[in-house]
Amino acid sequence: MEPSDQFTTYQVLQRHGVDRRDFLKFCTQSAAALGLSAAFVPKVVAAMETKPRIPVLWLHGLECTCCSESFIRSSHPIAQDILLNMVSLDYDDTLQAAAGFQVEEIRHKIMKDYKGQYLLAVEGNAPTKDGGVYCTVGGESFLKVLQETAADAKAIVAWGSCASNGCIQAARPNPTGAMPVRKLITGKPIINVPGCPPIAEVMTGVLTYILTFDALPELDRQGRPKMFYGQRLHDKCYRRAFFDSGQFVEAWDDEGARKGWCLYKMGCRGPTTFNSCSTFKWNCGQGWPVNSGNPCIGCAEDNFWDNGPFYQRLSNVVVPGIDSTPDQIGKTLTVIAGVGVGAHLITMAARKQASKLKTPEDGAGQAGEKE
Amino acid sequence: MATIAQPNAPPANLDPIERRRYVWEFPVRLSHWVNAIAIGVLFLTGLFIASPVAAPNGEAYNHFLMGKMRLLHFAFAYALVVGIAIRVYWFFVGNNYARSGFPFFWRRSWYKAVFGQVVEYTHLERGHINIGHNSLAGISYVAFFAMCGFEGVTGFALYGESNPGGFWDKLVGWTTPLLGGSFRVHMWHHLVAWLIVVFVVLHLYIAIYDSVLYKNGIVDSIIAGPKFYEPGDHDADKWIS
Repeated sequence: MEPSDQFTTYQVLQRHGVDRRDFLKFCTQSAAALGLSAAFVPKVVAAMETKPRIPVLWLHGLECTCCSESFIRSSHPIAQDILLNMVSLDYDDTLQAAAGFQVEEIRHKIMKDYKGQYLLAVEGNAPTKDGGVYCTVGGESFLKVLQETAADAKAIVAWGSCASNGCIQAARPNPTGAMPVRKLITGKPIINVPGCPPIAEVMTGVLTYILTFDALPELDRQGRPKMFYGQRLHDKCYRRAFFDSGQFVEAWDDEGARKGWCLYKMGCRGPTTFNSCSTFKWNCGQGWPVNSGNPCIGCAEDNFWDNGPFYQRLSNVVVPGIDSTPDQIGKTLTVIAGVGVGAHLITMAARKQASKLKTPEDGAGQAGEKE
Repeated sequence: MATIAQPNAPPANLDPIERRRYVWEFPVRLSHWVNAIAIGVLFLTGLFIASPVAAPNGEAYNHFLMGKMRLLHFAFAYALVVGIAIRVYWFFVGNNYARSGFPFFWRRSWYKAVFGQVVEYTHLERGHINIGHNSLAGISYVAFFAMCGFEGVTGFALYGESNPGGFWDKLVGWTTPLLGGSFRVHMWHHLVAWLIVVFVVLHLYIAIYDSVLYKNGIVDSIIAGPKFYEPGDHDADKWIS
C-alpha cells in the first residue's frame, strides 16, 4: 500500500480504467445516498475532480472487525474498491498488504506529511486499565497509538458502537476499563457512527459526505450524523400500524408473530433506537431484524448490552444484590409503604385501646396532665 | 415535649364556626384535583404503554388502542404541567398557607420542627398542629414536585424523540445522553412513576390519619377550603408576603 499522493479521486479512477460515464454515475449515486437533489451532482463531480484524496488512517482497537466487514459490503455508493480509491486508505491493519514495522512507518509518515489533514477512522476502543495492556498494536498500547494518531488528525470517525459508545467490552463490569473514543480524545471533531456494525451505506455515506463537501456532516447531541441517525427505527418501521392499533406478538410463533404484528412486547428496542435500519435496511437493502421477525436489540444505542435481557420490554435494574425490573421495584416499595401504613394503624389502635383501658382509673390523672 | 401534652378537646368557649379558617384557596384546590386526576390517568395509561395487556384482533386499521392510550398519556401530561404551573404560581401569590411547610433546610428551627413533627406522629396525644402544611408534609410535597419535574423532563424528552430538533427535543432532549440513552430514560421514567405511587399511598394515609385523629377537617378542606383549628395550633410562617 502506497502512501497517499496528491491525485484526485477522478484521476485515480481513470488510472483504474473507469470511464467518464461510470464516474458520473458514481457521483450521482453518491449524491443520492446523501439525500442530495440532482442539482448537487455537479458539485459532487467538481469535488471528485479537483480535491485531492483525503488520507485516511484506520485504526483497530478492541473490536471484532464487524465494522470493516460491513464497510466492504457497501453497495451504494458503488462497491468498496471504488471507495477505497476515493479516499486514500493508507493504514488499515485488516486490509493492508504490508505488515510489521513497514506499516507502522507508513502511519508515522502520514502523520508527519499530512499533519492536520488526514482523517482518523477508529474501529474499536481502547482499554484504559493497567496502562492499556489489554490491547496492544505493534508493541504499543492501543491507548497510546490512538492518542498519538489523534493528535494531528483533522477529524475522527468513530466506527461502530465500540468506538462510539463502548459496546460489549465496556459493558458492566468492564474489566479492562474500555472507553469509547469520545471519552479519550478531546479537542478534535469526532463523528460517532454507532451500530454493531453500522450499516455499510451509512459508513460510506459519512465518508462520501466528508470528501465531497470537505466538511463534517451535521451532528446531533450524541455526535451522530443527523442524516443517518436523525430518527428512531420505530418511527419508520413498517410494523408501526400494529403498534398504534395495540396488536402485539406475545410469544414466538404465536398468531400475532405469524401475522407480522408489532414486536414491542418481545422487547423490540425500535422505539429507543436511532438508526437507519428501517429505511436503508441491510445487505443491499434486503432486510433488517424486524423484517425477519426478530425484535431490534438497539445495537446503535449507548449501553445496549447493559439494557438486557434483549427480549424483554423492561430490562432488569441493577440494584446491588437485587435483580429486578422497575415494576417489581415499584410494587415492592408500594407494598412496603402499605405495610408501614398498616403497622402505624395497628399501633395507633393498640395505643388507643390501651389508653381506653386506663381511662377509668386515670380520670383524675388526665385532668392533671393538662398543665 | 411540652407541646405534646395538649388537651384533646377544644375549649368549650370556641364553637366550630369560630374555629374555621379558610386555608386552601380555589387555585390550590383546583391544582390538587387536576394533579390527582392527571396522575391517576398517567399512571394507568403509563402501565398500559409499558405493557399493553389487551390485544385487539382483526385488521390493524380497525383499531387505535395503543395510539389512544398514548394520546391520553400525553394529554394528561400537559394537564399535569398546567396543574403544577398553577400551584407554583399560587405558591408566590397565594395566602401564607400556600407556602406553608416549605423546607427551610438552612434554618436550625426547621430541623427542630421536623423532629417535633416526627415525635408528634409517633404520639397519640394532640400536640401542636399546623394549620397549613407541617414540616414533614412540606418535605414530601417538595419531593413530590421534584418527582413530577423528573417525570416531566424525561417524559417530554421521550415524547420529543419522534421529532428530533423540535421544540421538546431542544428543551429537554439533553436528558437522553445524560441518562445513558433513550432506553435508560424509559426505565427511569417508569421507576419514578412508581415512587409517585408510593407518595400517593403515604399522602392518603396521613391525610386520613390527621383528619380522624385531630378532627381538623383536613380531607374536607381540599374540597371546600376551610380547616378547623384550635388555640395553640401553628399558623403558617409569613415569609414572603
